Amino acid sequence: METSLNHLCVPRFELLDESQILRLHHAALRILGEVGVKVNHQRAVDLLAGHGAKVDADNIVKIPQFLVEEAIRSAPSDLIIYNRKKEPVMELGGKRIYFGTGTDLPKTIDLVTRKVRDTTSDDVILSTIISDAMPDIDFIGSFGLPKDIRPGLHYIKCFELEVRNSAKPIFFTAGSEKDLNVILDMASTVAGGDEELSRFPFLIHYSEPTSPLTHSKEALAKLLLCSERKIPVNYTPALLAGSTGPVTLAGSLGVAVAEALSGLVIHQLANRGSPIITGVAATAMDMLHATVSYSAPEFRLTHSAYAELFHYYNLPIWGTAGCSDAQFPDLQAGAEYGFSLLSAALDGANLIHDCGYLGQGFIASPEMIVFANEVIGMVKRYLSGFSIDDAHLALDVVRSVGPGGHFLGEKHTLDFFKQEHWRPSLFNRENLPNWIKKGSKTLDQKLVEKALEISKTHKPEPLSSTVSEELDRIWDKISSQMEK
Amino acid sequence: MADIIKQIYNAVVEGKVEEASSAVQDALNSGLEADEILNKSLISAMDLVGQRFGEGEIFIPQVLWSAKAMQAAMDLLKPHFTSSRSKDVGKVVIGTARGDIHDIGKNLVAIMLEGAGFQVIDLGVDVEPEGFVEKAIEEKADVIAVSALLTTTMQSMGDVVSLVKERNLPSVKVIIGGAPVDGAFCEEIGADAYGIDAMDGVRKVKELLSR
Repeated sequence: METSLNHLCVPRFELLDESQILRLHHAALRILGEVGVKVNHQRAVDLLAGHGAKVDADNIVKIPQFLVEEAIRSAPSDLIIYNRKKEPVMELGGKRIYFGTGTDLPKTIDLVTRKVRDTTSDDVILSTIISDAMPDIDFIGSFGLPKDIRPGLHYIKCFELEVRNSAKPIFFTAGSEKDLNVILDMASTVAGGDEELSRFPFLIHYSEPTSPLTHSKEALAKLLLCSERKIPVNYTPALLAGSTGPVTLAGSLGVAVAEALSGLVIHQLANRGSPIITGVAATAMDMLHATVSYSAPEFRLTHSAYAELFHYYNLPIWGTAGCSDAQFPDLQAGAEYGFSLLSAALDGANLIHDCGYLGQGFIASPEMIVFANEVIGMVKRYLSGFSIDDAHLALDVVRSVGPGGHFLGEKHTLDFFKQEHWRPSLFNRENLPNWIKKGSKTLDQKLVEKALEISKTHKPEPLSSTVSEELDRIWDKISSQMEK
Repeated sequence: MADIIKQIYNAVVEGKVEEASSAVQDALNSGLEADEILNKSLISAMDLVGQRFGEGEIFIPQVLWSAKAMQAAMDLLKPHFTSSRSKDVGKVVIGTARGDIHDIGKNLVAIMLEGAGFQVIDLGVDVEPEGFVEKAIEEKADVIAVSALLTTTMQSMGDVVSLVKERNLPSVKVIIGGAPVDGAFCEEIGADAYGIDAMDGVRKVKELLSR
């Protein structure tokens, strides 16, 4: 027996060394101490001022290092997210990776006509059902922003449709404190009360600061509400290098990290120990088309950098991958999904969102959720590496087969083939004659067929009729109020 | 009686060699006819295995272990067959083409054929056309199966077909297979069939013998 050997060989990726991590951390601390952030919410300003921050004119708040470092320590480093049935399904923290869709895509590629059109509430149901059926999609978002529901009500409707059509955790947005409160009422109804909801959270709210260095009143209202009610919240800036942040990646990271950390401070001051997922998105603005690239290689670099920094803080972090700048599920989309999903997984980001996105965060593609699921399976197999212990080295098997024999009939092959080899469910591995015999289908055709099949056959676990009726009642009440 | 037949069937489906052997021995000891054991359990078990494999429910190593269980059972049954049909499900002489030592495809086909109940005479690799034909005559084989991976070695498959014609052996069918082989090549050299993959090869051999 060899005692010094680590049997598991797994792919690893490291971008920053410790001095580089600290350089980035100190840059963010200096921005917070010397430049400050604009805090457009009186209670948040009061909280900061009351704990030692300096408030200048126009609510520019300069945050001292000790407040930031206290917040990093007081926020939970390990965050358990449950499904609707109160089973723990995601343990956010460390380098554990989970994948999901996102929210608010105004356009959808219709599965039948293959045309881009406005998103409707039926699309929210469809993407929820597809996400529910996909084994490697761990959490769901509304995916689309339905045009058939009036603003002010659409986030509430989205949440209702999601919770009705999947038991998986829900990642959701809200327009304001007002609709957030209604959504939390619905969630509380599903969980069986506020206390049960904060004990077994099955939802994560998404809110964001505005780059550069500004916290809006609405964003902070939602952040504070989640903090007080112990609802997990994801508070992360989306910065564009060259427009809302410095053009350089290091400069952008400093600003974005300062934004995320100031949000963390406010959140923890409101209720120490309340659950939060943090991190940043800092991508490049395309300087020719003035568009936001969801797939720039620079985005992958800033993603890896902040992931390592926030791992250093030992905080649960979000991530972005499985998205593309292409307007249609084409080769560009395939390449950008593959690259981003592998990269984000190697970064060990915990809550990796945006799977199924096309068109720079404008277009929802239901079949690309299925595609992302396939790639995630491949990436997870790659990241699980291989064992180099005696059973896996299999010298005795090699000895018994010898030169010129074959291993197909060995017991060792039978025992290990399933765990050792990943099998695609949609990627082609047929030989040419068999592929032709089965209709010469390309992957894009198979993805659409699979998505349509799921939409017809997959039956998510329904809510109890009592809860379902209560959700109807909450919806009727709020929608009639809004009509007035 | 139905129990022991079911037991053999399950052992073959699950690829349990020792269980298959001991169940077949029990069945013979209890006075069951070898033909009945073959027809009622082994053949239908391998049919199910083939079907599951075709539908992607089970994989090559599992099929091989079922084939091994089938073979072990057949070895016990052979001395006891009474009807001529089951004695001779079919006999196949198999090998790789002259100059070709890539034999994993050939091995797969051989194991699948055995699993389907055929008697397989494996000539190994780099077999001369004469080697195939002489052996087929000697063994009174029904089928010659030739495998090749290389476009350079596949040319000798045509020589096997010509030799079978030259020696006037109309009852001996020639089937070819391997990555470079396709329908057009099969037709060009006048072979009787070609297999897209190992399972298809077994299917084609069955078709050739049922004509």
